[in-house]
Amino acid sequence: MTPWSGTFDVSTPDDTSIVVRRQFGAEPGKVWRALTEPEHLRRWLGDADFPLTTCEMDVRVGGRYRWVFTQPDGPGAMGVSGTYDEVERPRRIVTTEQFDDYPGPSVNTLVLDEAAAGRTAMTLTVRYVDRAMRDGWLASGMADGLGRGYERLDDALDDLH
Amino acid sequence: MTTTLDPAPARDGLSLVFAALADPTRRAMLTRLRRGPATVGELGAPFAMTGPAVSKHLRVLERAGLVTRGRVAQARPASLSAEPMKQVAEWAAQFREFWDQRYDRLDDYLRTMPDEPEDHS
Repeated sequence: MTPWSGTFDVSTPDDTSIVVRRQFGAEPGKVWRALTEPEHLRRWLGDADFPLTTCEMDVRVGGRYRWVFTQPDGPGAMGVSGTYDEVERPRRIVTTEQFDDYPGPSVNTLVLDEAAAGRTAMTLTVRYVDRAMRDGWLASGMADGLGRGYERLDDALDDLH
Repeated sequence: MTTTLDPAPARDGLSLVFAALADPTRRAMLTRLRRGPATVGELGAPFAMTGPAVSKHLRVLERAGLVTRGRVAQARPASLSAEPMKQVAEWAAQFREFWDQRYDRLDDYLRTMPDEPEDHS
């Protein structure tokens, strides 16, 4: 937990996208560097249990990135890769994102706004190619319901409409 | 707390589940099946749907593994099957938790990360 943990929010403003919001206790320029420079990204994106073993980033329009997380004690390696389609330092970056073994890709638009002095509001819009894929994400609430004796299924289904 | 990401369920399987869930009629059928098994006639009644139309939706749900059909006489009542939904849920929940934790780590890192003049531009 950090002072900004409570600002984490996930919403679905339309049929094909998911919006993730989070605030951070630094100015946008610094958050931008933490998100786009490998030497900084490595420090927080990976950890001992799930280290970032590959971190290749060519942050310019048309450049590519690839991250691979490898569990030291497990069989699992999870890779994600994509391209940088728009790069407007330090406010806005548009990427494609494809996880190796998951449905995709998505187009991710990340916007950093100054919420107050020394505070950044991040808005990450993840847009999927179709509604079915997005609804798979939304279905999590629905499936939670199934896992817990169905009590939340109705609400989740209503949310899907 | 440690987050691990299990190997993904087969992409095709998840895609079938997603496609099945994308239709509001099928979601309503799943809601109905939550109360217990139902026949084609019972499932179609709220929508004034024909038997073949209901069966078509049921086949999509069956292919995705969300519904099983009984072998009882002609009625073949449909029942909800939770496993595929749990797989989707686990996938999404793990992913969400992963990012929630990573953003906490980013917060912590930002506190120790050296400033640069350009940060304030």
